[in-house]
Amino acid sequence: MAYLPFKPIFHTYIRTFMPVSVLVVDDSPMARKMLIRALPPTWDIEVSQAGSGIEALAMYRTGKVDVIFLDLTMPEMDGYQVLETLRKEDLNCLVIVVSADIQPKAQERVLGLGAIAFIKKPVDAQKVEAVLRQYGILVNT
Amino acid sequence: MLTQDQKEALQEIANIGMGQAGASIAEVLDHFVLLSIPRILFLQPEDIAGALLLTVGEENVSAVRQAFHSSMRGEAIVIFGEQRCNDLADLMGYEKDLDHAAELELLLDISNILVGACLSGIAEQLRENIGFSAPSLMADHMSVQHLFSVKDISWHNALLVEVNFRLEQRSFACHLVILLAETEIAAMAKAIDRFLDSMQ
Repeated sequence: MAYLPFKPIFHTYIRTFMPVSVLVVDDSPMARKMLIRALPPTWDIEVSQAGSGIEALAMYRTGKVDVIFLDLTMPEMDGYQVLETLRKEDLNCLVIVVSADIQPKAQERVLGLGAIAFIKKPVDAQKVEAVLRQYGILVNT
Repeated sequence: MLTQDQKEALQEIANIGMGQAGASIAEVLDHFVLLSIPRILFLQPEDIAGALLLTVGEENVSAVRQAFHSSMRGEAIVIFGEQRCNDLADLMGYEKDLDHAAELELLLDISNILVGACLSGIAEQLRENIGFSAPSLMADHMSVQHLFSVKDISWHNALLVEVNFRLEQRSFACHLVILLAETEIAAMAKAIDRFLDSMQ
């Protein structure tokens, strides 16, 4: 079963106008930079970055992460393993997978593992915005 | 040769090219393809064989080469492991006992798909036009150590980009290697700089 993407936490954030905490996970610093550049400039966020799956999970476990942008192809712990672990730990944030692996099966798998969306690399800013609006993460800004 | 920024950019650009090649080959073979992280190395010609041995292994290989030309010229080489032909023929739904000529034909076709998709993906990122020569057989059942005859290579340094494709449920695997001679690396650096500038 796919996970229900909506978490009440978001409505709280939006109501109180607190910045959304975004975690960008990719082993490539260049890929992280390209993704951060593609985020809507009007979106009120605090961005943090992780260079590996292990680092990402440690940051997630602090409980302060609302949205994760997750790469798939990473050394040691790849994006699939991160998703599986998050699911075991009761996935308390929204995960958007960002990958150059554009096989339809890769998309199916990550959605099956609880990601809410798949965005292909190179990242298109309009696609990012559309996904964020679709899930009510970005509203009327 | 390349700055840290240029190398990181190339790594990500190669990653995107590899993803496109992986998707193309997955469609042709109707199997899920496992991708690895592209390797980028600066090497002297005599070290190329050793570098490939690390990922390809000791087994005999067959290899197909294809030259490409954009603002830089280089060679793309696809290396197939020993088991590749039987597996490929099977995957493509051919009868067993494909004759040798048909096997080689198949390798050329697969190489052409991989090289075309991967390098077009890279060229698109770099906003370069790219053209390819026809694929040709470079080695047939040969050790990877003998793939490059060092005495035939006149340049002293090369940029090697290597990506690996593996099927999840089959033994089939192949390696795509992009080689740029030192004279071409400057053109690559310029193209990457334009890419980086466009990101500012």
